[in-house]
Amino acid sequence: MTSSKLFEEPGLKQITVWARGVYENKEARDVVVAVTEAAALEGKFVQAWENYVDLPDRIFVPVRAYGKISDQPIESKYVYENETPDIVALTEETLVKGVPILGGIRPGAVLVVNTKRSPQEISKFLIGDTNKLKAVVTVDASGIKQGVITLSGAEGATDASGIGGGFSGPLAGAVVKATGIVSLESLLQIVKDKAAARAGYDQARVADAKSLGLAG
Amino acid sequence: MGVKKRISGCVAVANGVKLADVDVICSYPIRPYTGIMSELARMVADGELDAEFIHGEGEHAQLSVVYGASACGARAFTGSSGVGVTYAMEVYSPISGERLPLQMAIADRTLDPPGDFGSEHTDALCTRDQGWLQGWSSTPQEALDMTLMWYRIGEDPRVLLPQYSCQDGYFVSHILGEVEIPDAAQVKEFLPPYKNHHVLDVRRPQIIGAQIEPAMGPPLQYQRYQAVEGARQVIKQAHAEFAGIFGRSYDPFVEEYMTDDAEAAIFIQGAHAETAKTVARRLRNLGEKVGVVRLRVFRPYPTQEVRLALSKFKAVGVVDNSANFGIAGSSGVMLTEARTALYNLGDKVKTVGFVGGLGGEMITHDEFYRMFAKLKEIAKNGKTDRDGYWLPFEL
Repeated sequence: MTSSKLFEEPGLKQITVWARGVYENKEARDVVVAVTEAAALEGKFVQAWENYVDLPDRIFVPVRAYGKISDQPIESKYVYENETPDIVALTEETLVKGVPILGGIRPGAVLVVNTKRSPQEISKFLIGDTNKLKAVVTVDASGIKQGVITLSGAEGATDASGIGGGFSGPLAGAVVKATGIVSLESLLQIVKDKAAARAGYDQARVADAKSLGLAG
Repeated sequence: MGVKKRISGCVAVANGVKLADVDVICSYPIRPYTGIMSELARMVADGELDAEFIHGEGEHAQLSVVYGASACGARAFTGSSGVGVTYAMEVYSPISGERLPLQMAIADRTLDPPGDFGSEHTDALCTRDQGWLQGWSSTPQEALDMTLMWYRIGEDPRVLLPQYSCQDGYFVSHILGEVEIPDAAQVKEFLPPYKNHHVLDVRRPQIIGAQIEPAMGPPLQYQRYQAVEGARQVIKQAHAEFAGIFGRSYDPFVEEYMTDDAEAAIFIQGAHAETAKTVARRLRNLGEKVGVVRLRVFRPYPTQEVRLALSKFKAVGVVDNSANFGIAGSSGVMLTEARTALYNLGDKVKTVGFVGGLGGEMITHDEFYRMFAKLKEIAKNGKTDRDGYWLPFEL
């Protein structure tokens, strides 16, 4: 007996940000918090959290932060991993190698990478369900703003250093440009460094997956 | 009115502790409850909360510190998870025996093994017979509200007992939820200052926890028994007052969800109740007569309320999120206690146990779906094949 259809939530969008443990935890968390809080301003139902099992106190191990955004109250709120992301973002480029970043992505998903490289160059390294991607986006978010390294805000506590003051701002800006998941104006109301977030939005390079030879 | 924020269960509890204006806090780190203490440490450091923040050298020390602090008349707070909860086991009974109404937050974590820091109620349930009050919250909002409510109940002169305010680790403690943080003036109205009537004071020496003769044991235990039993009335009153002041109301003991005309129901405590509700709602859309009953207070166990709530169903599936190896019925403590509550009804309500979510796994929508399917079968046939099922291996 299966119930998979019964529990579908059609209006639900999932965003997963991959990062390197400890050094980039905060930036990954800030991307999902900034985007979901911006969506909340737009009247959406939202949820943001960090993967509890990824051992975030281990330096450089791949860790994930998640967001959910929906037109309806979120019913899968205790499904503790994003199983079918619509948006995947990486806080640094080496995560494209050896990490299943595209695992479970839904058709039409968008990948956003913090890198100096072009979408064309990044797409060469992608493995997995690349045919489900709609676009690959790159932005030199770290070039726009340095990352903030802090343990403040770890383990669900309040981040006293604020949201979106590091490279998460420009990375979130690129996510917004590529997906339209929220408006840039809403994002700018949330992030600490508004100029950096706007620069990320402006400088993001969006490449259609078909043009990269990735689509089906 | 309060402010609305999206915060974790850990931060919600820390806000409750701050609003309760506690005097002494004792910490020792262990996931997942750690976030409560890091938030409180920040509040103290930033001058938001005027409290003594003491870092203990372990959980046994944590409980000893708040034991002393409470005896000195301080409103005291501590907390732990998993093996931290069991490491402090020796100190729980002396605190309730001395009738000191301090509070301990428990964000559940598995014991070792599996020791994977996932949530299981096993840790807190190990402490259930220590003479403390105990209950589970299923959302960050409820975790904040219960922090205030437990102090109010425990410090009532008719009760004077310590309280375990429990929440599921990760699901409640770490996933941000919308919380209305109440106004300090409202909290002042609801929660009067803690008054200890036999304060430990060097000018008036007294002995606490002295060696006693066996003959002094029965009256001492009977008084503690009466205090726990008597808390029922105070729990009801506190919930009514809370609703009046804050405008948020909870059924004090059991929350019923879609139980009208239901033939089968899931009986459960903690975060997974929220998933069970989703499943019940979706099944209702398909015409199934199902509901969910959530237990909010585990000690004192609300025998009458549970009997009343569960007696109207043909079949009840009792979900245990704890490992109780070798227990009567081979399921868990939620099942044995529910069956005791239902015993006088004879065989009217068929009960079956479901052990799920161990190791911190979520109890999935599909698992609740399978549980409801089993309950439907039991309600139809009027008999159970076995006492309990361990998910996902046996159902």
